[in-house]
Amino acid sequence: MKRRFLAAALAAVSVVGLAGCAPAEDSELVIYIGRGESLVQPLIDQYISESGQDVVVRYAGSAELAAQIMEEGENSPADVFFAQDAGALGAISKAGYLETIPAEILNLVDAEYRAQDGSWMGVSGRVRVFNYDPDKVSELPTSVFDLADPIWEGRVGIAPTNSSFQAFVTAMMVVYGEDAALSWLEAMKENGVIYEKNSAILEAVETGQVDAGLINHYYWYAKGNEVGFENMNSQISAFESQDVGNLRNVAGVGILSEDPKAQDFVRFLLSEAAQQYFVDITNEYPLTAGVEPIEGLTPLSEIPAPDFDLNDLEALEKTLELIRRAGLI
Amino acid sequence: MQKPPVLLAVLGVFAALVAILPLGYLVLRLFEGFEAAIAELARARTLELLLNTVLLVTSVSLSALAIGVFQAWFVVRTNLRFPGFFAILATVPLAIPSYVLALGYASVFPWFSGFWASWLVLSVATAPYVFLAVSAALMRVDVASEEVGRSLGFGRFKVFLKITWPQVRTSATAAVLLVSLYVLSEFGAIALLRFDTFTRAIYNAYRSSFDRTAAASLAVVLVFLTLIILFFARRYRGDYLSQRAANPRRLRAELGPNRVPVSVALLVIALFGAGIPLAALLNWSLIGSSSTDFEKLIMATLNSAGIAASAAVLVSVFALAVAIWTVRHRSKFAATIEGLLWSNHALPAIVVGLALVFFGANITPWLYQSIWLLLVAYLILFLPNGLAAMATPLSQVPRSVVEVSQSMGDSYRKTLTRVVLPIASPGLIAASALVMLTVLKELPATLLLRPSGTETLATRLWSATEELAYAQAAPYALVLVIIAGLPALLLNASVRKTYSEVNQK
Repeated sequence: MKRRFLAAALAAVSVVGLAGCAPAEDSELVIYIGRGESLVQPLIDQYISESGQDVVVRYAGSAELAAQIMEEGENSPADVFFAQDAGALGAISKAGYLETIPAEILNLVDAEYRAQDGSWMGVSGRVRVFNYDPDKVSELPTSVFDLADPIWEGRVGIAPTNSSFQAFVTAMMVVYGEDAALSWLEAMKENGVIYEKNSAILEAVETGQVDAGLINHYYWYAKGNEVGFENMNSQISAFESQDVGNLRNVAGVGILSEDPKAQDFVRFLLSEAAQQYFVDITNEYPLTAGVEPIEGLTPLSEIPAPDFDLNDLEALEKTLELIRRAGLI
Repeated sequence: MQKPPVLLAVLGVFAALVAILPLGYLVLRLFEGFEAAIAELARARTLELLLNTVLLVTSVSLSALAIGVFQAWFVVRTNLRFPGFFAILATVPLAIPSYVLALGYASVFPWFSGFWASWLVLSVATAPYVFLAVSAALMRVDVASEEVGRSLGFGRFKVFLKITWPQVRTSATAAVLLVSLYVLSEFGAIALLRFDTFTRAIYNAYRSSFDRTAAASLAVVLVFLTLIILFFARRYRGDYLSQRAANPRRLRAELGPNRVPVSVALLVIALFGAGIPLAALLNWSLIGSSSTDFEKLIMATLNSAGIAASAAVLVSVFALAVAIWTVRHRSKFAATIEGLLWSNHALPAIVVGLALVFFGANITPWLYQSIWLLLVAYLILFLPNGLAAMATPLSQVPRSVVEVSQSMGDSYRKTLTRVVLPIASPGLIAASALVMLTVLKELPATLLLRPSGTETLATRLWSATEELAYAQAAPYALVLVIIAGLPALLLNASVRKTYSEVNQK
């Protein structure tokens, strides 16, 4: 008797479970998101409740999703790719998988923050920063290349599988050449401590596991908002002017299907509400006119970043090769 | 012998096809990108991975052997107090996925990472396999020869080394090989503790390379390593499975004043294997309870339970079919099919996941990113488990009972459904539970193959640990232990039962 009950329960649970995992249908909007779920899911929820659209989201690293879209080719179920950086978008654009975004949407952001051919566009801005523990780092490095010095051995948190790091390496490779980038990466094989994500690096610097780390600016602000800036053990700073370690980048979107609901979602990301969300919740830079960044943040245009065309980040494939050649992945 | 019903053969052949197709495709793919694959294998990094992997497998195997033999000897062969309690304690880590153990440690000690951390976690996680095998073997040891040894004036340690150990060695070796296979295919704990072995490198190559040939070639190296261990495991498998009756008499060594220190040592091992990490997770769950998203937690739990139960049903159907076929209708063809299915049993899950991603995206896009492809992965990975667990109860149904039923004129089907299956059913249900437990804990294949938007306890835990958000990860880990622990207890109960039966004799 008991056994029969067990078997029935097993069957019931499996039916309920399977019903919740039906494959994507045509009416659904499938979004591949290369950003952290905790950062953007509330925004997606907001879109769902406003539009009434059924949305299916797949979270993974931006480079992983880019590679996945290439593997899937024409079979890709994705309608929209919301990436953490411009490089992943540039790479699949180069492979020809992205539709052109209509000009009326493209023109909402500066030409500097979108693809020349209109295949992808930024929706929020971010800056690479040097995150450090003031008790352990007395003299700040002037350039990100200084971190290759043996005095940094085992002291710098990096995230080679993270696309923001990869984009920065791409910039380094484009500006200074492959050899320079490779030897920097090889030095980081010794000097770096590898983490999965920016947030993990910040956590490690905060708890004293590493002395410093290379992250995006907003992780530090988000942590500060959470625990109080006066309680932060670590600081952030920029390298010298024009240093590639201060790279300015965007999180952005590309459209993979002709379905109008994909455009609708992109339009939403550039709405005032979504842009304000990036300001208030993720502490990023808004990219449309009329929305102001949080107070105390250096305006995006005044960041001592290198002059760098985000379209050049499409060389991501080469970067991944270099990172792997250096043995970091 | 009677011919098997067509249905059984069809299910068996289908399962075998499903089991070999993805891997075949992986190899095919490798040949397409042959040059890239060779370049990948020639990298210095591949050698580094090889060394790391071999180092970890060897060291964990040795320490798991030491721990397991230590536990088994004192529980079975001495006058330790509460041996039953200590026997259960020694098997408790089986209920905890190794990446949960890893998470438990890493959440209290932020510096806990790298080789030593992986070594510790995997040693305590795998010691129960050695304990179970060796304690069973110790119960069958021939006491008379030990007595002869003692009467010849050998010391207790010498008797153990010269007389007892040779009788236990085969079981212990088989268990150690099992441990090696476990470590070789372990992904979660190693990735969480940031130690680079093949599994982690395959996952990272998959994630961070546009040309996935790199991941495929590393996967093939891992399969080769697995085959090497399997080659050795084959030699010992027969002995491992042989069921000699337990010896009615047992020599129990007097521990005397050593009773307390030995008990303390066993407790300390349990503390490392379960106590510390579980306490850490409980603590983090309480700390984070105010911010725990219970809706997410419940959804993940339902998903996990639903998927694991479906997989258990699916695997059980196929396993039962193949088991009946091979046990009750032994034939060359059936044996070939069984061998094919068995050959998958040590395949690392990350490799199966990878193969199915390739296969799904290119050959069967209609299955891709659907729950069905994930279930296929579980079928490939866990059919051997189900098969092994189901063959035993089926083969234990006495032939005479079957013959009586048939002599009464019952049809084949009636004999099967009214006689054979009911007699074997406790074992069959335990086998399904085993499969469900194993699926619940599965991480790498789930990570690669889950449908978009479907999050399980394991994948939620994984993404939280990637951000080092321990308070967020802890509740998932605890729920996983509780719902995976329940079936584990079911299974352990049957293990304990055998143990106490043996003890009472």
